[in-house]
Amino acid sequence: MHVALFLTVLLIAACGLIYELVAGALASYLLGDSVTQFSTVIGTYLFAMGIGSWLSRFITRGVVARFVAIELMVAVVGGLSSTLLFLSFAYTDSFRFLLYALVTVIGIFVGLEIPLLMRILRARYEFKDVVANVLTFDYLGALGASLLFPIVLVPMLGLARAALLFGIVNAAVALWSTWLFRETLGGARRMYQAACVGVLLLLGGVMAGAERITRTAEADIYADQVIFSRNSPYQRIVLTAWRDDLRLFLNGHLQFSSRDEYRYHEALVHPGLAALPGARRVLVLGGGDGLAVREVLRYPGVREVVLVDLDPEMTRLFSTHRSLTALNQGALNSPRVRVVNADAFQWIARSAEVFDFVVVDLPDPSNYAVGKLYTTTFYRMLARHVSRDGLVVVQSTSPLFARTAYWSIVRTLDEAGLRTWPYHLYVPSFGEWGFVLAGRAEYSPPTRLPPGLRFLTPAGVPQLFHFPADMLPVEAEPNRLNDQVLVRYYGRDWERIHR
Amino acid sequence: MSLSRREFLAGLASVALVGCSRKTERPITGGFVDDGGARGHRLRDRAALPSPRRTVRVPVVIVGGGIAGLSAAWWLRRGGFRDFVVLELEEQAGGNSRWGENEVSAYPWAAHYVPLPGRKATLVRALFEELGVLRDGAWAETALAFSPEERIFRWGRWHEGFEGALAETAAERAEFGRFHERMAEMAATGEFTIPSALGVRPSALDSLSIEAWLAREGFRTPALRWYVDYACRDDYGALARDTSAWAGVHYFASREEEEGPLTWPEGNGWVVRRLLERLDGHVRTGAMVHRVERRGTGARVLAGDTEYLAEAVVWAAPSFVASRVVEGAPPVDFAYSPWLTANLTLDRPPDERGAEPAWDNVLHDSPSLGYVVANHQSLSTHRDRSVWTYYLPLSHLPPREGRTLLLRRSWAEWREAILADLERAHPDLRRCVSRLDVMRMGHAMVRPEPGFLSSPARERLRAAEGPVFYAHSDVSGLSLFEEAQHHGVRAAEGVLRRLG
Repeated sequence: MHVALFLTVLLIAACGLIYELVAGALASYLLGDSVTQFSTVIGTYLFAMGIGSWLSRFITRGVVARFVAIELMVAVVGGLSSTLLFLSFAYTDSFRFLLYALVTVIGIFVGLEIPLLMRILRARYEFKDVVANVLTFDYLGALGASLLFPIVLVPMLGLARAALLFGIVNAAVALWSTWLFRETLGGARRMYQAACVGVLLLLGGVMAGAERITRTAEADIYADQVIFSRNSPYQRIVLTAWRDDLRLFLNGHLQFSSRDEYRYHEALVHPGLAALPGARRVLVLGGGDGLAVREVLRYPGVREVVLVDLDPEMTRLFSTHRSLTALNQGALNSPRVRVVNADAFQWIARSAEVFDFVVVDLPDPSNYAVGKLYTTTFYRMLARHVSRDGLVVVQSTSPLFARTAYWSIVRTLDEAGLRTWPYHLYVPSFGEWGFVLAGRAEYSPPTRLPPGLRFLTPAGVPQLFHFPADMLPVEAEPNRLNDQVLVRYYGRDWERIHR
Repeated sequence: MSLSRREFLAGLASVALVGCSRKTERPITGGFVDDGGARGHRLRDRAALPSPRRTVRVPVVIVGGGIAGLSAAWWLRRGGFRDFVVLELEEQAGGNSRWGENEVSAYPWAAHYVPLPGRKATLVRALFEELGVLRDGAWAETALAFSPEERIFRWGRWHEGFEGALAETAAERAEFGRFHERMAEMAATGEFTIPSALGVRPSALDSLSIEAWLAREGFRTPALRWYVDYACRDDYGALARDTSAWAGVHYFASREEEEGPLTWPEGNGWVVRRLLERLDGHVRTGAMVHRVERRGTGARVLAGDTEYLAEAVVWAAPSFVASRVVEGAPPVDFAYSPWLTANLTLDRPPDERGAEPAWDNVLHDSPSLGYVVANHQSLSTHRDRSVWTYYLPLSHLPPREGRTLLLRRSWAEWREAILADLERAHPDLRRCVSRLDVMRMGHAMVRPEPGFLSSPARERLRAAEGPVFYAHSDVSGLSLFEEAQHHGVRAAEGVLRRLG
């Protein structure tokens, strides 16, 4: 009999510690900065346990019944904690609030457990034995939990199911307690047992569906249904769909939404290319989705388009997947298009080809590796591939959200000896977005555009070049291979927005 | 219910074993790549040396194909003089600027960068203008170290930059500020120049170590002391307590340019390659000079089975070798720092935490200096495979003991030591490395110990008026590219004067 009682202590101690570890790990995983997350979670939890211990003095009657009730409540709240946290991170803005609220509630319940149990046991054993045995098994349970958590639970079950499993253990302990203390509980026993079974069924049911819940929540970030996801050697490609909205994410960053990508791609290509009626050869760097190429192919005068994209997985996907070829109108399969899978910098360093129009549609300069493609050296080398009257257009992040970064790209093109014509537009899924046209000759906006456009009009093109006061040029250094200021500007600008 | 202590401990141990069990590792190939040491030691041990079987008459013989010797040759050629030969002991010229190459990248074996030369370093500028690195006052961007230049591993993660991650508290930042002010004052004296010969004069600073000088000046934070110690290990292969305060200050007070440095995948081997292209036909490798004697007004140089009869000799090998080989050479008492370098080929990027990979990756709590990524200077945005050059000065031991240790340990022991050092920053490194080659350099660089400035031996070497001229960087006491070049050119000018 007494071994069973102390085993109860061991199990509830283990459960208590697991909930705390789950909360700490989940917060570090989702919010980063593990030192802060673990410190604040543990601190809040221990403090809440203190509150629970203090509150225990107010429980004077029916201690056993209360103990069983508390076990059940810990089982429900603790067991569901990590699933709730996952969902709140995915679908609400109150993750932190819920985190500390849950940690406090669980802490208070767990803090109540041991004092109540000690009082129950005091009637049966000598006080010195109660204290010694309860605390010994409490700490042993903690040790067991802290070893199980990283070695077995997280790798094999994941955070959501680990918490649920221990919720079930908690509920099982409650059920067992109704049997252990059956004389004390008396007639209320049946009711408590029914409640225990109910909680066990609930947690078991959630556990069965937990995998799907967390997968949905993890894919939250992609709020819609994931229809394709693959890790290429270069990036993680994820495609989501919701009704008529198809979205592409590379490494979690939105690349386009099919609802408004026409705004982005029309504005990327036509202000430059429509102003070059003699353009025959076009180069597209990046843009493996084929959407910029789709716009380029509207010009019958363009004989050849070379698309250079690093990732063969991307160009393969966008030349074979049915809903994607519908979106880019089969651009990558056009006989006028040559797809090259190569690193853009290496390719322009080696190639001797000359183009009338160059579209540089590369990922934002968020790290030093990509930042190389926004340097004076890169643009100087690129300029050698542009015909005398030709133009280059560069995707240049947001002049509103990353204003210094945007104007640094303009400065870099200036520094590389090109004349620049910055412009911008509004893309609902991105916000304000900026491009820069650059070349050696004169530029004046086109008066005619190809037919079939949904966004641009000849009268609208000159307006793109107007910058309102909050996007006007700011001091910025050019970006060089040996001093990539742009990456620092970009990080700083976006950090300010996200705060 | 009771659990015996024995059962408990057994249980813990089994948990620990499960936690530690390693995945099967694939083998890492490699070995020692140095062989010059063994040849050099034949000179020391006076092994039987061949007698000459053929005689070559050539006006100038340059002994040593490192930066000093090649610079002497470069200067002769630049002046239109062609009658010389360069004799190099190793199978590959370059000295401390030797390099290697594999299917992933070219990589350095030692010196891997040249700081941007200031206005006074006219010879360095002249060389880089000739090589197209300096054009109309602008440096080729592709030769400047790419961003991010450096990061440091500390507190379990990488931090971008250097001083920012070292000076964390307000007191430390204040001390770094004061230190840089002090160094600016030192620079303003005009005493600390590159090349050093332009500014150097007898200095009380040379009588104490840089560590003692820091203490005297009230620099106390461990952060700053680590920084200065790192600089001494990096440039001189010596701890701050073994480095002359003058040399320590020189490191910080001699550079004029903020930008830079210049670097290439094969390090300074890139410069050697360009020089060798220009010296085609003049350089003989695998030629061990074992005797230099006076012969009339000129000299007789014995190398292998060949006897060279020359009017002048540029001795551009380490000066301590001259005292064994060259008749009448001034005795030298310089200390030389032993070094070990390794090149690791990685088939995929290893795990790590913190800042992005940089060119120079410094480990804070390590006897090594960390590693330099040879193919960081690449235009690619994506890098799967890479070559890392790992630098370990054996500065914590007296040089002689360091050399003994260098030779006593097997390649497998060095491999384990190197991997263990790097694994702290990259836990899965073993699963990424396919090859690890090690170079042992017993006398890698002259060590500027306190008192080196006033060394009479240095003065005698510098003042030698022929037929043998001494050109090795140890004549200046600082093992730097610019010093080697300066003395190489000085010797070449001495030779031209002597020949009229």
